Amino acid sequence: MTFLHRHKWLTPYLLLLPGIAWLAVFFLVPLGFLGYQSLQSGSFESGYSFTWEFSNYWDAISTYNEQLIRSFLYAGIATVIALLVAYPLVYWIAFRGGRWKNLFLILIVAPLFVTYLVRTLAWLNILADEGPIVNTLKTLGILGSDGRLLATGFAVVAGITYNFLPFMALPLYVSLEQIDSRLLEAAEDLYASKRQAFLRVTLPLSAPGIVAGTLLTFIPAAGDFINAQLLGTPRQSMVGNVIQSKFLELIDYPAAASLSFILMALILAALLVYARAVGTERLTG
Amino acid sequence: MTMRITRRELVQRGAAGVTILSLPGLLAACGGSSSGGGGGGEVADTLRFSNWPLYIDYDEKTKKHPTLDQFTQKTGIKVDYFEDINDNASYFAKVQGPLSQGRGIDRDIFVFTDSSRYPQLLVSKEWVEPLDKDKIPNISNLIDAQKSPTFDPDRTYSLPWQSGMTGIAWNEDVTGPVTSIQQLLEDPKLKGKVTMLTEMADSMGLVMLDSGDDPSVVTDETFDKAIGRVQKAVDDGQIRRFTGNDYAQPLTKGDLAAAVAWSGDVVQLLASNPKLKWAIPEKGAMIWTDNMFVPLEGSSPTASTYMNFVYDPKIQAQIAAYVNYVPPVKGTREELAKTDPETAKNTLIFPSDEMLSEVHSFSGEALNNEDYIQKWQTVLGA
Amino acid sequence: MRWVRKHLLTGYAILAFGYLMLPVAVVILFSFNAPAGRFNYVWEGFTLDNWIHWDAVPGIRDAVVKSLEVGIVSTIAATALGTVLALAIVRHRFRGRGFVNVLVFLPMSTPEIVLGASLLTMFLQAQVVTGFVTIFIAHVMFIVSYVVVTVKARLIDFDRHLEEAAMDLGAGEWTTFRLITLPLLAPAILSAALLGFALSIDDFVITYFVSGPTQTFPLFVWGAARVSVPPQVNVVASAIFLVAILVMIGNVLWGLRARRARETMPHAVPLPEQLHQPEAA
Repeated sequence: MTFLHRHKWLTPYLLLLPGIAWLAVFFLVPLGFLGYQSLQSGSFESGYSFTWEFSNYWDAISTYNEQLIRSFLYAGIATVIALLVAYPLVYWIAFRGGRWKNLFLILIVAPLFVTYLVRTLAWLNILADEGPIVNTLKTLGILGSDGRLLATGFAVVAGITYNFLPFMALPLYVSLEQIDSRLLEAAEDLYASKRQAFLRVTLPLSAPGIVAGTLLTFIPAAGDFINAQLLGTPRQSMVGNVIQSKFLELIDYPAAASLSFILMALILAALLVYARAVGTERLTG
Repeated sequence: MTMRITRRELVQRGAAGVTILSLPGLLAACGGSSSGGGGGGEVADTLRFSNWPLYIDYDEKTKKHPTLDQFTQKTGIKVDYFEDINDNASYFAKVQGPLSQGRGIDRDIFVFTDSSRYPQLLVSKEWVEPLDKDKIPNISNLIDAQKSPTFDPDRTYSLPWQSGMTGIAWNEDVTGPVTSIQQLLEDPKLKGKVTMLTEMADSMGLVMLDSGDDPSVVTDETFDKAIGRVQKAVDDGQIRRFTGNDYAQPLTKGDLAAAVAWSGDVVQLLASNPKLKWAIPEKGAMIWTDNMFVPLEGSSPTASTYMNFVYDPKIQAQIAAYVNYVPPVKGTREELAKTDPETAKNTLIFPSDEMLSEVHSFSGEALNNEDYIQKWQTVLGA
Repeated sequence: MRWVRKHLLTGYAILAFGYLMLPVAVVILFSFNAPAGRFNYVWEGFTLDNWIHWDAVPGIRDAVVKSLEVGIVSTIAATALGTVLALAIVRHRFRGRGFVNVLVFLPMSTPEIVLGASLLTMFLQAQVVTGFVTIFIAHVMFIVSYVVVTVKARLIDFDRHLEEAAMDLGAGEWTTFRLITLPLLAPAILSAALLGFALSIDDFVITYFVSGPTQTFPLFVWGAARVSVPPQVNVVASAIFLVAILVMIGNVLWGLRARRARETMPHAVPLPEQLHQPEAA
């Protein structure tokens, strides 16, 4: 072990090694192959050949800009709603949960243990046109007598929000949980109101959690397809649905691959903008 | 630092443990591939059969598949039965890798639906082995309607497993009878309360029939005409959604008035809601069939022996009693009537000759036309 | 009014939990349903039959066991890899830090279908038999990112003074890590593990491609759904949920016992001498 003491610079590389190796072999290599596919042309029946077909990318953006924009819109709305819904809940668990904190955490994550299909069938049951929720909304006049909740953009965004809520909540919890309540006491001793204490102490200290939560929610949500498939109409299709279709129905691997890279590039671009706005230290630590 | 190294060791030990856990799994997989034969030749001692889940008879008490055991008793061939087909497109995406490289997939039988493009694709790419017809005398029991599908006119490569019909289902509590596709697409009383299937063959086939065109011979005109009708219904908000079999719950609950639906689903749903009705539309319905194929490097003699076994009406009756889809074997209804007269009378499982004369299949060639597929996918939103 | 203000947050928490649990409640409810047909869509009558004969549906038992096995093993591996990765990123300056940060986000932003398919292609080229091991590999691959981001959220504002204080008192680096850092990091690691397990157990698309003949629970449900949604699926889903809850309740109760034991045995708290350990060579 004195070896490591003399070669302290090695430490981070050793720590990184297993994780990076795993990702390099099982993610980067397949991704490389995907990149190769994205520059192919041809069809499944007649075969593909590598022709530096950069036009695949241009075609992808120009044809599917509607779905790309919609995906980012839906993912963005879902992320904001998830943040607003999760934050007070997680705050309560972190500060008032007491020794039952872990139990409450499980309750947040547990809906994910019930398979996606079964969960969605349950929501289809709850939000059915003839069900209690829709009927109440109709009575209150929020929904027209002809209105419905399912098979709308609302349903798709609601589905995405619900399914990604745990991904927002858990990082938030991680950050809120470590805030020492004595800091809040100190703030109040210094004549801060509860509101000021929250805004000037708690909120900034929970920033890493907010950043982590929004990333873990927005990024996968942008590529989601299943909520649009089960809860939406053709007018709600997202870029994930297009990629599914290209890959499975059209068996057009170059198109699917190039569209996937476009999605990844856009997400990374959004990430850069976000990092700049938030301050890179919060992202990279 | 001591801690860091220990963490890495932990991961390494964990990985080693996993390898040990999965070694039996690996060995089993290797064992499986060695006992199968490749291509022609002799009958092997194991049949490896991939199918959809819940698609063969099953005894809840013994937790076994009776007909598979009967097959083993009769022929001495063991059956490795896998229920790993979840969906035509995804399963094809999974197996096309090895098949495109001329390698087998360690299976002797797999199943694809002819309302998808894959049967035609498999045959044209020669990724399936020809059947050993000498071993299938019972092929004469194949019902006439199935004798010559467009993707395999001489039944060289395939035989049906089970079929289903696609027609219109409606909920009597919500609407009167919906007897035609035209009504489905244009009746203002049904606006926003109908769905169609995402399967091009099913939905477009029905629309073509309704327009008076023949879905087994698709031309650009007939296709564009049908697409136009569907797109209009979508734009008008008439069609609520395009579904897989997830129309079933909303239809049962009354969220939907009517849906393009599969007969097999309705058989089950009727048990829960007697107010559901299914019918062949005025101008005709579609029929789809899950076909058994022998993948490359699969043992055709072994597979053919099994297919012959399953084309015995006595065996087929046992399967039909559990699965409740349309069996392709003549004489099954009579056999089943001996033990289960109720099911034997169900025209959704045993359609009458008149019904069979009204059902059609979609052109396999059109199913593989990239242009058509893209146009349909665009209507679906992709 | 004051009372309302004081309990507003708790009231909200109850509502929020209600929202989260609503579909789960419906799932549990319908696990007791007795449908006449193969689809479990309409309430038809109460029965305990589904719970007694939970594996009456062929393939469901194997699928559940596989899902749990894969879930536990991949979660442990991914949590370990991810935590170590997070420690490296946050606490050290090294070449390629930016690249590593981006690399961590990439798997999350790649659509599952292309991820699964290209992984399968790679396995095929390498002639690797698909099955449990390949599912494990794929799951660890996509879970690691989530673990890293979650643990990082804790590490970024981690108060190093506590560790410095311990070392000032003579604790070695390993001891400090074991007695100070790790316990403080534990909630984050646990949260990351929970998230990872949930991801693994609910994954469908990637698992489908790399599973070969192996069936996990989500794969089974999707495949069966074409012809049937049996109540046993609800039973299994409810059971996993309830077991997780019970384990946590048990954890809390056991923690209470341990605390009470420690209160009656004051010297169970580590003494300063124990912190002052000579550095192991």
